[in-house]
Amino acid sequence: MPRVGGVSLRNPVLAASGTFGYGTEVPLLDRRHLGGMVSKGIFLAPRPGSPPPRIVETASGMLNSIGLQGPGVEALIRDYTPLWASWDFPVLVNINGESVEEYGELAQRLDSVPGVAGLEINISCPNVRAGGMYFGNDPRQAARVMARVRRRTRLPVWVKLTPAVTDIGVVAQAVEAEGADAVCAINTMVGTAFDPRNGQSRLAFGQGGLSGPAIHPIAVHLAQRVAAVVSIPVVGVGGVADADGAMEFLFAGCCAVQVGTATFTDPCAIEHVARGLAERLTRLQGPALERLREQPARILLPGSSPPQGEGTGPSPVPGNGRQNAL
Amino acid sequence: MHDLWAVLTGRRAVSESMWVLSFEAPAIAREARAGQFVNLLLRPGPLLRRPFSVYDSHEDTIEILLSAVGVGTRLLLQLDTGDAVSILGPLGHGFELDPDAGPVALVSGGLGVAPMPLAAAAAANLGLRVDWVHGARSAAQLCSEWSGDEVRWATDDGSRGYKGSVLDVVPESAGQILACGPTAMLAALAGLYPRAQVAVETLMGCGTGVCLGCAVPRVAGGYDRACTEGPVYPAAGIRWPELPAPAHGPA
Repeated sequence: MPRVGGVSLRNPVLAASGTFGYGTEVPLLDRRHLGGMVSKGIFLAPRPGSPPPRIVETASGMLNSIGLQGPGVEALIRDYTPLWASWDFPVLVNINGESVEEYGELAQRLDSVPGVAGLEINISCPNVRAGGMYFGNDPRQAARVMARVRRRTRLPVWVKLTPAVTDIGVVAQAVEAEGADAVCAINTMVGTAFDPRNGQSRLAFGQGGLSGPAIHPIAVHLAQRVAAVVSIPVVGVGGVADADGAMEFLFAGCCAVQVGTATFTDPCAIEHVARGLAERLTRLQGPALERLREQPARILLPGSSPPQGEGTGPSPVPGNGRQNAL
Repeated sequence: MHDLWAVLTGRRAVSESMWVLSFEAPAIAREARAGQFVNLLLRPGPLLRRPFSVYDSHEDTIEILLSAVGVGTRLLLQLDTGDAVSILGPLGHGFELDPDAGPVALVSGGLGVAPMPLAAAAAANLGLRVDWVHGARSAAQLCSEWSGDEVRWATDDGSRGYKGSVLDVVPESAGQILACGPTAMLAALAGLYPRAQVAVETLMGCGTGVCLGCAVPRVAGGYDRACTEGPVYPAAGIRWPELPAPAHGPA
């Protein structure tokens, strides 16, 4: 039961936001192998999302411009959180705003709602006209969002970072300084695709977020960069489709991973990653074991002593993520 | 719903550019209803699955209809008998037949014929008369297979059957219309027969309701998912000008 960024995970493999709905949709998956999940990004108000076409397959990846379609936070609380409260894995809510104030209001609304184990601040969505990546591009804006959210909730707060910055480490440090309990690296990369036959964008929105195996090495690199400059846990996200991909993030300095696009192809992808990773960690030996013992992911090794602050409650003091995480 | 590795057991041409592939998929064959679809994964192959209407099912076998429209379909057509693909399904909500609504017209254009054999069988099971109404650009592109009580062909060039739109030959006696075909055809059909049930085609990410990629613009407002609430809709329920024609480039 690794504790990462204030959240007690059942194992280090989570479902990534936007690829697992509200936890009820993905068929066939044995949820006992789910370490935790991050729900589809939510705004205060309902949003219809972007017009179709919304997705396009690319070489080793896909672009999406879903546009954060969702029912709004009240419907989420009413329709899903009672269910989450009965689940034996933690659910983090991915929150989105068009203003700093909106992030704060969402955090306040979700604070102390049973079933919500934590928040993941999305300051990195490329598919909204206002807000989204704007906040993630600028360390000062990112810090403002984090500071506002921190003041409005005692829930653990993770921040999902955009790769579309000159130095992702600077943004990571900015949100760490304002009390983030963990950072997730990375969200999708912005991409565009044209249909060469008619010159039209393949996405009605004109651009989308690139995900899947295509971004995996970039994500590992940026996660490593983040891990090198912050003390809070780093959660690796980007193109994980098997245990090997997850292990790469652990060697890069992450102590958990999220599986996203792989679930679209294989509803049981998370289960396969989680089982494979558990086996790898058990069998790890030689130089690989030595290297992992030097990384934050050593908390995942069998027999490692449980970290301090074990439990499911919220962070007792805002901004103490670095203490109760590692 | 099932996800199983299914062996290719047969392939036959049904027009100059359309083929029917048969797979041994007993659990799916037992459950599949007309208008539902399956999502096929090729390994090695492209990242995402490819959705196909269930064309027909027999005991342990399901059939799909396809044309070589992109990398996935080309690879599928290169499979040899005995090769296996992962099949997820059956998915989505299919056609609903009303035993008291009278004769059924199955109206299809081109590849839109894909869900119709299963629909014909379902209608026949209810004792309903079935008119098979199918159009294509030319005789060579018409699906050679049909089932039901009577068939009406339409071709753009008049090389077989009526010369003109398939919509011109929908029998007036039809009490219920099930349709599938190009988006423009379905949009026109919606104007004539708002109560028809139409199976739409969209780009699709997961097929299971998670990715929200297969958005269908609804008259009632917002979007829903072709893979979950669809792919069959009342024709009058869709904001047709906003539903893209399937872009077959990467398929």
